[in-house]
Amino acid sequence: MSRPLLKPLLVLVLAGLAAMVLSVGTGSVSVPPGQVLAVILGEGSGLQQTLVLELRLPRTLSAFATGGLLAVAGALMQVLLRNPLADPYVLGLSGGAAVGALLAMLAGLGGLIVSGSAFAGALLATLMVFGLAHGTGSWTPSRLLLTGVVVAAGWGAVITLMLAISPAQRLPGMLYWLMGDVSYARSPWPALVLLLLVCLLVVPLGRSLNVLARGPMQAAALGVAVRPLEWTIYILASLLTATAVTMAGSIGFVGLVVPHMLRLVLGNDQRLILPACALAGGTLLVLADTLARVVIAPEQLPVGVITALLGVPTFLYLLYRSR
Amino acid sequence: MNPLRAKELVIDIPGRDDGQPLSFTVEPGQIWGVLGPNGAGKTTLLHTLAGLRPPRQGTVCLADYSLTELRRRQISQQLGLVFQERQDGFPATVLETALIGRHPWLSPWQMESGEDERIARQALETLDVGQLSDRLVSTLSGGERQRVAIATVLTQAPDTWLLDEPTNHLDLHHQVSVLELLTEQARSGRSVFMCLHDLNLAARWCNHLLLLYPNGDACWGPAERMLAPAALERLYDQELLTVEVDGAPLFVPKKAR
Amino acid sequence: MLTFPTPLQVIVAASLLWQGTAVAGEVCARDDTGEQVCLEQPASRIAALSPGATELVWAAGAGDQVVAVVSYSDYPEEAKDVTSVGSHTRMDLERLMELEPDLVIGWVTGNPPEQLEALKELGLPVFSIEPRTFEAVSHTIERLATLAGTEEEGFAEAHRFRRGIAELEAQYRDAEPVPVFYQVWDEPLMTVNDEHLIGKVITLCGGVNVFGDLERLVPRISPEAVIGANPEAILAGGMGEENRHWLTRWEEFPSIEATGKDNLYFIPPSLVQRPTPRMLEGSRLFCEKLDDARARR
Repeated sequence: MSRPLLKPLLVLVLAGLAAMVLSVGTGSVSVPPGQVLAVILGEGSGLQQTLVLELRLPRTLSAFATGGLLAVAGALMQVLLRNPLADPYVLGLSGGAAVGALLAMLAGLGGLIVSGSAFAGALLATLMVFGLAHGTGSWTPSRLLLTGVVVAAGWGAVITLMLAISPAQRLPGMLYWLMGDVSYARSPWPALVLLLLVCLLVVPLGRSLNVLARGPMQAAALGVAVRPLEWTIYILASLLTATAVTMAGSIGFVGLVVPHMLRLVLGNDQRLILPACALAGGTLLVLADTLARVVIAPEQLPVGVITALLGVPTFLYLLYRSR
Repeated sequence: MNPLRAKELVIDIPGRDDGQPLSFTVEPGQIWGVLGPNGAGKTTLLHTLAGLRPPRQGTVCLADYSLTELRRRQISQQLGLVFQERQDGFPATVLETALIGRHPWLSPWQMESGEDERIARQALETLDVGQLSDRLVSTLSGGERQRVAIATVLTQAPDTWLLDEPTNHLDLHHQVSVLELLTEQARSGRSVFMCLHDLNLAARWCNHLLLLYPNGDACWGPAERMLAPAALERLYDQELLTVEVDGAPLFVPKKAR
Repeated sequence: MLTFPTPLQVIVAASLLWQGTAVAGEVCARDDTGEQVCLEQPASRIAALSPGATELVWAAGAGDQVVAVVSYSDYPEEAKDVTSVGSHTRMDLERLMELEPDLVIGWVTGNPPEQLEALKELGLPVFSIEPRTFEAVSHTIERLATLAGTEEEGFAEAHRFRRGIAELEAQYRDAEPVPVFYQVWDEPLMTVNDEHLIGKVITLCGGVNVFGDLERLVPRISPEAVIGANPEAILAGGMGEENRHWLTRWEEFPSIEATGKDNLYFIPPSLVQRPTPRMLEGSRLFCEKLDDARARR
């Protein structure tokens, strides 16, 4: 089994690297593709060094990490809910994380507290959606989606309220939470490390997730400790979403589009799908952000616009087909 | 093997009185049939015996351990359950579905080996669905799905089989071959405990029966003792005619005039 | 993340150690976030990250040194020919770096702090401004002139502005108060409080801002509140330089004193809505309108 797992992952790694090279080589200032490698190896002019190493590379890596985190979070929630429509943005996790982060910022706090508060917001959002949608019966897709959409709209309103009452000098910094934008992202490393850790963690968890995807009763009958596993997924999905949101605001639909496409091609073995989501989600966001940077340069588009333009039709198609 | 044992067990059906607490042991080699009308709690009993629902009272034990003391993984190495209802959230092939039966036997870091795949393929062959192994489960007929589900538990290879209406959706031939398979399992030292709605299949293949009444009453024992027409008529609230065929009783419902 | 002191930080630290012994050619000024910004020599390539900053740099006499502006930097006319680096909320940092500025003029409440921080980390001196008073406008021009090495022209302009405002102040110190409503935006309806520079123009001209006490700098209000406040004069900008459209909505309410006396005045928004020397012209116009209103009593 390990051989068929490795090949698609290798292809995705190559695609990811290609996308990063493209992204680092593209911008409003042209750096010839041949030069990019030279610059990374420490040559080239001072300006090229600055452009490639200090502006493009951190941004590209941030976009990759954000996309990977969101896609893995989406894939995990889809397993948990046994529903391909689940997505951190659609279900309001991103909204909850954004509210948490904004509250911390409004209170004048910074750094880790913002991330922690975003995590708390995402967790609260998850619990609300799951608690409410579960109710007494089981999850039906329409019930879950309705709950998620309503909760997400609620977060949207809270964000608008906070923007309306926040002091003027905080506004520009806060606005980007609504749009989803990696241009403010600073250091990509914590997110990349988290992404790597999660990918390593899902290898031992993967088969249990496969079994869980067939329903909690079936999973329990096959020896899965369902409750602890479900909690692990809740918390992981919230942590991933919160990290992505603290980095880049709420970017929609990556968690929906990427796992869906991959499942069409690669089947539904979580041990393959989850690392593949990390790679493909990262690749997608790197490409989308490259587009966002250059399409109407020097004006910069928030990358959330691009992902939404891709994601909304996919979502509607899935919804249409699932009837 | 460790026999499955119910001790003073009262299953939890909301709004129903406790009724008769159940105490029985499913010994190796036995084939138990649970009979009862719709809503009597057959499925709930099966899920309670598998440890998937908490009982209202009493305990379910494997050997000397209550199920609540055991890890799910340990339980699943000894108990297999064929569900009546199945949900398929994501598309999966027949072979992948059968392979998850190996889950209890693999450590978290282990990938399914060629040996695991061989076991799964053999189980599929036994259930006469080997030729479908690359098909998506969602494209199969009801009877084919039922056989894939049984093949999954055969792959799991538990000592005790719990089955919820295993003959559902199956044609006559496959009903018989599934029951023969279970008889074969029992003969090799395992045990079988299944809900059946077909009285005559139960009469023919089970050596122990448990009659479950809608009010919570129950009685159980060796099949020949339990197949008293009067008790069965009360069970189903239906008058029956009894004939003897091939040395076993055969029950036919009386026509209402 | 590990950060090493940028050359600038080293310079700042060094300059703190060697206070009083300024290196020849070094220029320093404290920006509106309280940060001391020092340049080894006066800036020759300036990036102005708001339309207001662009005007102020030109006022300081350093217009020729501007190499980068942002969208809507439309004054003076020459500013339109300078390379734009995108909108002030989302700048194209690459293009900005390519222009190799040696001084960046940031906008405290307009530019994203993350992007200004990134520029600092890239080693660019960032001087952030946020003029909230007339004196701050003059002082900003002086500080920019210092950093750009154009003190002569800049200080003269600052002085001209300061004197002009002082003259208006003297002229209207004892003027009869006029209750004024100033409309910044139409949909949603927005005004300013006394803290806002436009609010200070109202006070300067002897007006009384009917919404001056509100908490927020630019409050959103309802038309009812305006009718209730019953201003004697309504002044508004508009979606362009000669668009009285916003005033017509008030013509439906003759109960408002301003409407009854036809004290509905249009003020070209670019003259008052940016904290630049053009405010002097705007203030004069504003005061004339209030004089007009007093004349109709």
